[in-house]
Amino acid sequence: MPALPKDMVRTAIQAGASARAPVTTPPRFRAGETVRARNINPVGHTRLPRYVRGKRGVVQVNHGGFAFADTRAHELGDQPQHLYSVRFEARELWGNDASLRDAVYIDLWESYIEPAV
Amino acid sequence: MNGIHDLGGMHGFGPVVQEENEPVFHEDWERHAFAVLNLTMAAGQYTVDELRHSIERMPPAQYLETLYYEHWLHAAEDLLDKKKVVTREELERRIAEMAPKEKK
Repeated sequence: MPALPKDMVRTAIQAGASARAPVTTPPRFRAGETVRARNINPVGHTRLPRYVRGKRGVVQVNHGGFAFADTRAHELGDQPQHLYSVRFEARELWGNDASLRDAVYIDLWESYIEPAV
Repeated sequence: MNGIHDLGGMHGFGPVVQEENEPVFHEDWERHAFAVLNLTMAAGQYTVDELRHSIERMPPAQYLETLYYEHWLHAAEDLLDKKKVVTREELERRIAEMAPKEKK
């Protein structure tokens, strides 16, 4: 098992490891676009929270390419995708009892979202 | 997976308790759990995503009743066994060796 050199421990712990990875496909979505989180229920790992599935949100920014957690969790490699910050209004998530002023921003990989129709 | 870890939007857990001047570790063993996880991950034994998924697969009742670093320890035991670095049998043997020496 390769060891982490002692003099690199501090840097490694403080900085963490970035999951940033080059992606070759053009982005499917752009800032300002309304999208819908897919209703998926994989038995494996996913970073798509249940409460947002099927809900509509607006793309805020494209963070660029990031290794896909859902494949990395199962030894299936990085398979990088564009990662977007998507804003979901609290009322979209929780109904009309929620505050008009609240919203949740969630970083979502491209395959988690589809165009809202 | 639709596991117990995905708590967003659930009710009934009470307020989030904030500790003033919260220490990084509450118990000495937590430091070791932190080190084991980070060093085995840095050594390329598994990814942070495998670690998270291991924690997600904990029995739900156990997940809720255990501490944050107990989740980490669970992942270390689970993944190092899966990768054949420290098998479950080796771990059990070592625990059996050390248990009598532990001061109560």
